[in-house]
Amino acid sequence: MIPRALTRSLAAICGTDGVIVDPERLLVYESDALTAYRHRPGAVVLPSTTGELQRSVEAVSRHGLSIVPRGAGTGLSGGAVPLGGAVVIGTARMNRIFEIDAPNRRAVLQPGVINAELSAAAACHGLYYAPDPSSQTACTIGGNVAENSGGPHCLKYGVTSRYVTGLKVVLADGSLVQLGGSGREAPGYDLVGLFVGSEGCFGIAAEIEVALLTVPEGVRTLLGIFDRIEDSGRAVSDIVSAGLLPAAMEIIDGPTIRAVEDSVFAAGYPTDAEAALVIEFDGLEAGLDEDAARAADLCRRAGAREVRRAKDEEERLALWKGRKKAFGAMGRIAPDLLVQDATVPRTALPSILKGISEIARRYELVVANVFHAGDGNLHPNILFDRRIREDLERVEEASKEIMRLCVDSGGTITGEHGVGLDKKHHMRLIYGPGELDAMWGLRRVFDPAGAMNPGKVLPDETDPSLARAGRATARAPA
Amino acid sequence: MRAAGSVAARLGEVLPRSRTLEGAAARQWAARTGAEVVLFPESSAEVVAIAHAAAETGCSLMPAGCGSWLAAGGWGREARAVVSMSRMDGVAHYEPADMTLTAGAGVRMHALADRLGANGQCFPADGPGCDRGTLGAVVACGVSGPLQGRYGRVRDNVLGLEVVTGDGRLLRIGGRVVKNVAGYDMVRLFTGSRGSLGVITRVSVRLFPLPLADVTLCFRGGSAADAVAMARAAATGAFPVAAVEVAGGGMVLVVRLLGGSEEVEEARARVTQCLGTPSGEVLRDGESAALHRQRIGWEGGRAVVARLKALPARLGRTMECAERVAALLGNAGSGAWERRVAADALCGLVRVKGDCPPSRVDAVAECLASARDEMEAGGGSLTLSEAPRDLAARVGWTGAGGGEGELAERIKALFDPDSVFVPERP
Repeated sequence: MIPRALTRSLAAICGTDGVIVDPERLLVYESDALTAYRHRPGAVVLPSTTGELQRSVEAVSRHGLSIVPRGAGTGLSGGAVPLGGAVVIGTARMNRIFEIDAPNRRAVLQPGVINAELSAAAACHGLYYAPDPSSQTACTIGGNVAENSGGPHCLKYGVTSRYVTGLKVVLADGSLVQLGGSGREAPGYDLVGLFVGSEGCFGIAAEIEVALLTVPEGVRTLLGIFDRIEDSGRAVSDIVSAGLLPAAMEIIDGPTIRAVEDSVFAAGYPTDAEAALVIEFDGLEAGLDEDAARAADLCRRAGAREVRRAKDEEERLALWKGRKKAFGAMGRIAPDLLVQDATVPRTALPSILKGISEIARRYELVVANVFHAGDGNLHPNILFDRRIREDLERVEEASKEIMRLCVDSGGTITGEHGVGLDKKHHMRLIYGPGELDAMWGLRRVFDPAGAMNPGKVLPDETDPSLARAGRATARAPA
Repeated sequence: MRAAGSVAARLGEVLPRSRTLEGAAARQWAARTGAEVVLFPESSAEVVAIAHAAAETGCSLMPAGCGSWLAAGGWGREARAVVSMSRMDGVAHYEPADMTLTAGAGVRMHALADRLGANGQCFPADGPGCDRGTLGAVVACGVSGPLQGRYGRVRDNVLGLEVVTGDGRLLRIGGRVVKNVAGYDMVRLFTGSRGSLGVITRVSVRLFPLPLADVTLCFRGGSAADAVAMARAAATGAFPVAAVEVAGGGMVLVVRLLGGSEEVEEARARVTQCLGTPSGEVLRDGESAALHRQRIGWEGGRAVVARLKALPARLGRTMECAERVAALLGNAGSGAWERRVAADALCGLVRVKGDCPPSRVDAVAECLASARDEMEAGGGSLTLSEAPRDLAARVGWTGAGGGEGELAERIKALFDPDSVFVPERP
């Protein structure tokens, strides 16, 4: 619970319906989509305007409480979990698109605008917003900015950071700072680039300027069916090496295929296959057929037993269905799911996939892989039952081993989900004390009092202000 | 602070004499920096030792690659010592199928282009002067060229860095995979920080396949207004263009198309149809690439270079502002590509170059200041990238920031508490 005086101040700023303190209604805000972590917030505030946001942040800070920014709560790293009774500031009501500026191919909007709604609003101008996280019908652009979100089509188009051109951010003291802006060459450091992906630890984006792209004129979608998952990984590598640049390349492995085919989402993938590879090309109509034919040929040479090609939009959606519904289908076969997000060099994919299935066998766990293969961004999902204690321990051990395998191949611990609460302990796998110190320092540049989203991203014990001795020495990346 | 001699001597002790330049040789190598000593380390450990020595002796340091931008002004900054990365030029990791590369910051861009080209790949940086410099300098300056619409800005393609900060810390940030959100994005922070936070010693970048077809369409003649209207049409049409540029004077519109051969042919037909005029000249492959290499060196050696930027739809107004400045600057050579104004229609940037004889400093300063006011009133900016000291002092290298200043100062203090590295803006 928060002090009554603060509740009154917040209600005066956002209206009584903009402040939630009722314990039952706070339940929703205990976790994000990674439900393993749950903490009750002290309160939830829902400002509608930049001014309300500034005054809310300032009021909470003045009472010495910490602040956890929250978009739609679709995050997968526990980043929006309010630790220690922090106040959640939700952006759900800040959902206005101020401007779709078609001549300059950009949009200016509030952080609570839903990703897919931005593209829908731009569609009448023949434009769209490129980054497409799998949760795009629910997640907000503000959340995407905080997490530097990716998505299947980021293979060709790049992640959120490439598209955010300017920000107005509210810092912990309630001040509003303009960073960047596409109309000018901002003097000094790339603070927009630094802010994107800061996971709510630097401030809250109140106004976001993004670049839009022209909707591609044509699209070709292929589905390669493989008997060995390593072969699908090799096909991905071969396609990229051949100089082709597909918009997306996604792998769905055997266990995932079977989960999907057993569910209401059945997409017609053969259940005896060990991998399905979705490949999509987009752009001008001219040349697309040739690209698709070359990719299909490379799949066959890598060992695909069958390559399907969508003839129309309906068939295209069918080919994608197995990928898009994978997470939903997994929920049917196990009560809990541990989603990982490591990225590895593309050429390491075949050996890493083999390594992961060996680890799964050793720990007697079901690991289902569904991932952005073109980027080398893996999502090995461990299926388990939280109620069984031995299960939980095995899952943790296996998860650590998979993470180390990926890091040792030259990879990283998270490609698009963010560090949040879930992966902060893995940060020392890839960064040494110097790098972590520098990150703490940057955090204090934006938030000297440490009020913004405390307990996330950086391992607590590395906080220089704690000045703890005996810090473990981590391996620095190659 | 100690005498100049002892600073050079103390810094010189860090490296063997064969890898230091002092006195006249240093002044010649690092022309306009006023450096007393130039150091050529061969390892990150040596760079750390140099940073420590500089902090102890209170000697200002400036990082450099092979020095080509220092000679051109380097934003008019001065330092007592220059640390050149030119000997740290090894390729540490290159797996063509991963389309990523890790190399010492001193690797020359042309050597890199040769090595990557042999595998049908490229690192598509095309900012001013990029081809003559080193990879580290391109990343440190972070200036992108006309191809940014197709490939992204320089900062979008840097995956990881090794840096030595002002307080002598060796940091390895980012990684060498194309998607990475582990921790705060210090790679973006150091990219474009112009050596003011530390020295970049190693760089990992994302690569791209060389396009199978490269075609440039040149449209000549017409007024400035016509060229701008055509450029805007080409930049916003329903076809992919890699670059759309306008050069002043003879008003040449240049549209570059990159991609598969069928795709490029189709785009060529559509550009021509959209502009309603047959293209005067069609340059293909080698010729097309050569024209754009020449464009990268467009600013070379001019006393004054200004960058005027606004939203692309305001290109006409930006161009008018630029033409006014150009009219005051002295002769900048002749020939279509050697005129004084060049516009990048995709991002709304217009560059002006020329000379500024001492007798005209007042007039040029006044004109630049009023052009900056006009640009800023429309939400844009005017930045000097080259200028004689007296002119820069009058006008300022950049205009007003948007409130980032205080954050920037704290970031500078975090990585370089003793101000060993010369500040980003003089």
